[in-house]
Amino acid sequence: MDLYVAALGFGLISVSVIAIAAVGFTMQFGITNMINLAYGEVMMVSGYAAFYVNRAGVNIWIAMFAGALAGAVLSFLLNRFLYAPFQRKGTNLIGMVIVSLAASLMIANLMLPIVGYYTSSYVVDQGPLLRSNGLVLTTAQIAIIAVAVILMLAIHGLLRYTRLGKAMRATAANPTLARNCGIPTQRVIDVVWLITGALCGVAGVVAGMNSENFAVSSGASYLITIIAAAVLGGAGQPYGAMIGALIIGIVTELSAAAIAPEYKEVVAFAMLVLVMVLRPQGLLAKRGALAAAG
Amino acid sequence: MTTFRSSLRVPAFAVSTLAVLLLAACGGSTSTGGGLGSGPLLEGVLAPFSGADASFGPRYLAGCYAAALSINGAGGIGGRQLSCQQFDTRGEPADAVPAANAMISSNSNLMGVVGCTSDEASTVVPILDRSHIPMVCMTGQSEFNKTSFKYFHRLVPPDSFDAYAMIGSALFGPNHAPYKRIALVFGDDIGSQNFVGPAVAALNKLGVTIAINQAIHLGAASYRTEVAAMLQTHPDVILTETIGSAGTYMKEVQQQNGGNVIPFIGTSATIDPVWFQQVVDAIGLPAFLANYTAVDLRLSLQGAGYDEFLTELTAADSKFSGSNALTYKGKSPTVHLYDGIILTALAMVAANSSDPTVYNPKIFEIANGVSGATVVNTFKDGVAALKAGKSIRYVGAAGENNFNQWNNSQQGYNLVTMDKDGNEQVVGQLTEAQTQKIIDAGGNA
Repeated sequence: MDLYVAALGFGLISVSVIAIAAVGFTMQFGITNMINLAYGEVMMVSGYAAFYVNRAGVNIWIAMFAGALAGAVLSFLLNRFLYAPFQRKGTNLIGMVIVSLAASLMIANLMLPIVGYYTSSYVVDQGPLLRSNGLVLTTAQIAIIAVAVILMLAIHGLLRYTRLGKAMRATAANPTLARNCGIPTQRVIDVVWLITGALCGVAGVVAGMNSENFAVSSGASYLITIIAAAVLGGAGQPYGAMIGALIIGIVTELSAAAIAPEYKEVVAFAMLVLVMVLRPQGLLAKRGALAAAG
Repeated sequence: MTTFRSSLRVPAFAVSTLAVLLLAACGGSTSTGGGLGSGPLLEGVLAPFSGADASFGPRYLAGCYAAALSINGAGGIGGRQLSCQQFDTRGEPADAVPAANAMISSNSNLMGVVGCTSDEASTVVPILDRSHIPMVCMTGQSEFNKTSFKYFHRLVPPDSFDAYAMIGSALFGPNHAPYKRIALVFGDDIGSQNFVGPAVAALNKLGVTIAINQAIHLGAASYRTEVAAMLQTHPDVILTETIGSAGTYMKEVQQQNGGNVIPFIGTSATIDPVWFQQVVDAIGLPAFLANYTAVDLRLSLQGAGYDEFLTELTAADSKFSGSNALTYKGKSPTVHLYDGIILTALAMVAANSSDPTVYNPKIFEIANGVSGATVVNTFKDGVAALKAGKSIRYVGAAGENNFNQWNNSQQGYNLVTMDKDGNEQVVGQLTEAQTQKIIDAGGNA
């Protein structure tokens, strides 16, 4: 029983990392109709930005801001100078997927000679190991969970209680109507890419902290899980992405305890397939882009 | 009087003579001693230079650079200068096949290929063999223990023998009593799982408890649950490889085990600066030095052959900036593949042919030697002996090679650790009797 409780605790850390990333990813899709396959690589660029700041002697929790900034800027530039021009030309969804795939390959291969082919790691003080009722977590891991909770609450607050959030929801629901109503949709989209890029950046840093070692190739492996969480929850639904992250994070760790570690990702994706069969639109029905749950 | 018929005979005779001469010239490359040809030669380094096994490619390339400098410094192969080129397989069969095909189609001057690790050998070896390209491969897969691929050569033992050596280290290693409960933690990929079957067979036969046999997915973000499950079985020692993920896994061990690391024994692939740095970054240097040992192929690392290798590797380190060639001076893949390229080059010279169908069989002959063969330690000495009409046996940087009928060669094991700078240090050797006991227990798989 101890192992399962411990696995539950470990799952919460996985949930935190996936949730931060998946919410950003699904918001990009929900508002701009862009499946951004370069998301994983932007995470890695951000992770490395924080890495260099960290190695210069800055505490990783401070360096995380550098990662967030890098993610925000890169995402903004990607949309402004690559994705948006193609979308304006009327490129269809599949075409845009190809464009983002090309972007991911370019970013990855541009990074390799700069950061090297080998893994890197942050200088992180994990703090003492805390044990309570079977849960086994370090203070750093608890802090990662706290960061995720704060960011999810911030996103909730943004979408629910701010004018910007309302503008985002309106743009997601019907960009033409939103524009006609006087909402500066282009500016909203720019802000979306900045915010989701920052989320992506933070996700890159916490992912690197979570796994101890990371490399350029790590981005692609994270992306699959992120997409799974986003789709599970309902594409374009930030609250759905949170739920999707919760399910995938917990299920993978519990299955490693119950079955065998080599099957944990199989189980997680089997869950995804099952949900898609039973509820193809994802767990949260898409009543409108970025609609609040419940 | 010249008749019409006789007037035709002379040009007909000339034409037919010319035809015979032309045919002889065209067929020259398929007969022994067709000549070494002209123009530069290329040695392909077909290996991962990116991805999880990105550390493999550079050490192989370093060996190639050193061999090329040694060969070119001695005048080349019949005057032909050798160069090295890397072809990145990314450690994935799906990427390795196009890389191999592109290498072959774009380079008609391939002398040979080195690399072909366990990640991709199953897919690229048939391609290289069909194209008649002599290869010296680093794969340890058991499927090549009795291979029918004529152009395949392996100067290192199969991976399964690393597993036996690791067990030997656990049972007979210096500075500790025989371990009684052993955890096996390996990646769930082809190359890593090669160790597990032989290890399990040997341990069961020897009556040693396998605390847990854990296959983990390399590159995963975390292994917390896996480590928790492993710790519950209370192993004395962990046998592992986990390239690319060792730091993540061992950090969790340290965190969940009250700050203590369980002793861990690595395969020869873990004796690598990248692996060292990864794990040291994760668990700290004191914990690493106190708990890590590994097994490595027994290399002589001395003698005229090694001296030549070291000289050329030093030159390569400065000539090819960024190669860090000198880092690999004690690494068996670098040393063995250097020898493999020298063997291939000497085979060409011995056969006096640039046709691989002609010189490929000479590789075996020069590695094992024939009766009365002159032992040579460098390419230069080999060429000189061949020019003097002698048959040769090349004993190079890694020492003697002894190919069996399947072109497999191996030389035993060292038990090693690393110092604070990541340099390999030999702390013991498995005796022949100890090694044989474990191999017999494992069924020689």
